[in-house]
Amino acid sequence: MALLTPFSKVPELNTATVLLVENEEELQSKLANALVQYKKDFNVNVRLARKLPLPVENKETRPRIDLIVFVVNLLSERSLQSVESSLAHLHSDCFLGKVCFLVTDARCGSHTQERLVSVRKLAASHQSPVLCAEHRTVDGVNAAAVRLLNILKVSAGMSPIATTALYLSSLTRCSVTSDLEED
Amino acid sequence: MEARGSAVNTPASRPVTRRSKSYGRSCVEAPSYFWQTPGHLTVLKIPTSRGAAKSQLITDKVDPEHIALLVKNEWKLSYVTPLHHFRHTQLKSYSRHLAAFIAAEKQQGVAVEVGLEAGFKVTFTAVLGLAETDEDAETVFIQIQSKPAFAAAADAPKVVWRGWLTCVNGDPEYLRSLPPDFVSLPLFCTSGAESLTTLVKTWFERAFDCNFGSLALNSTTLNWLAALWTGCHPTCNIRHLKLAWSLPTQPPMDVSYTVNPQDAWELWNSIHPEESTDDKIDIKEVQSFISGLETHFFRHFKIYLSAGTLVKVSTALGSAHLDGKIKIGNSDYITTLLTLLTESALLKMPT
Repeated sequence: MALLTPFSKVPELNTATVLLVENEEELQSKLANALVQYKKDFNVNVRLARKLPLPVENKETRPRIDLIVFVVNLLSERSLQSVESSLAHLHSDCFLGKVCFLVTDARCGSHTQERLVSVRKLAASHQSPVLCAEHRTVDGVNAAAVRLLNILKVSAGMSPIATTALYLSSLTRCSVTSDLEED
Repeated sequence: MEARGSAVNTPASRPVTRRSKSYGRSCVEAPSYFWQTPGHLTVLKIPTSRGAAKSQLITDKVDPEHIALLVKNEWKLSYVTPLHHFRHTQLKSYSRHLAAFIAAEKQQGVAVEVGLEAGFKVTFTAVLGLAETDEDAETVFIQIQSKPAFAAAADAPKVVWRGWLTCVNGDPEYLRSLPPDFVSLPLFCTSGAESLTTLVKTWFERAFDCNFGSLALNSTTLNWLAALWTGCHPTCNIRHLKLAWSLPTQPPMDVSYTVNPQDAWELWNSIHPEESTDDKIDIKEVQSFISGLETHFFRHFKIYLSAGTLVKVSTALGSAHLDGKIKIGNSDYITTLLTLLTESALLKMPT
């Protein structure tokens, strides 16, 4: 099974590539536009996908992916299920700071609470951070883009001094409280 | 967050073995646990497994007339915080107070009309026998009757509003942790005019210093109900398993999925065999039951039901809607349904 590996290609100069994986494709395009248009001093390539594994045809031309963002819409169970099945197609090296979970609609009603708990448990078991985003307003999308850019900068290795992706992930990884862990 | 807390003494549970330092010899470090004092003892956890639905001849414990009151109507659910100084012995005086309150509220700001409603009659009844454990308080049933306008003097007053407060199989740790003056009846079901419901709630809030809130059901609760009711099929024919889904398309699509009860039962039996001695049903079994139904639907219609939300579950034993409306069909399995609802009411209550 072809796994997505983080270090198999040579990085490009002053460029970072982020892969947005989302089953519903609602937030992807908006977030991609916001990421590209935001004023920053390095180039960002955004690749979109619905799920992993990525198509084999593009394998040679695809650049090195620095950050993989899984977008989960908490209002639909299917979103979470497709992310869980996509996680199996990542090489385990990716989880050292190159994976991030982004959830939307975390405030809507009581049925999203339990899915949020399961996303957090999933993220905690993979040592990755969870970001909450609001995708219906322009400001919300921009705010999510800024946060992603911060994480992207570190995982692409562009942050000065000794901040590496691994270090950042150990700071930002999702932690579950002991009440949740007791199950 | 589902966790909630209350102030209780911390338990002396975890052993602490201190690391002993000895000079001139290699320290053999015994494993030391961090002394953990959990900040809240009574954390209400969402149960991941529960016992199967058992049929109970509830008529043994509860008066059949009272049962008839509960079955049949469609009830709207709310949660209530614990009531202060609520005495089951003073129900008569509560009924008088509530009747006077409603009459006073109705007359406020309305032009005086002669010959209108001849006043409200309120009855509080204690429905004994629904409570399961020792910590549960007894159910209280409230009825409001009034004579319709232009009624003849001999006409019996009609019941215009019904409501009941109940607690069935509430979390025992939580109930024990309440201060002594408080009675917890977290589930409040109402049926009738919305204006009367708000009046009753205002009166309760003023009399017993409690808070009401609407209880919307979780999709997990609906999944549990679907599985538990299907499991009852051998003993009591559920006649059909109807699931209503709402899919977020433009315009929103409503899917009504009716399953033959025998087929539903065979699916449930293959996941949780009836002969298994373990009476507990795990949440994973419930989830695989629901995903089995969804996969079957996908195979025929190529629609992913998991992308939508389950809105309503109904069988002959009762029906439950996501907005917090339930209907009890059969009184034999009422305890299971009420246990689930009490649990969701307790979880939804603010700390």
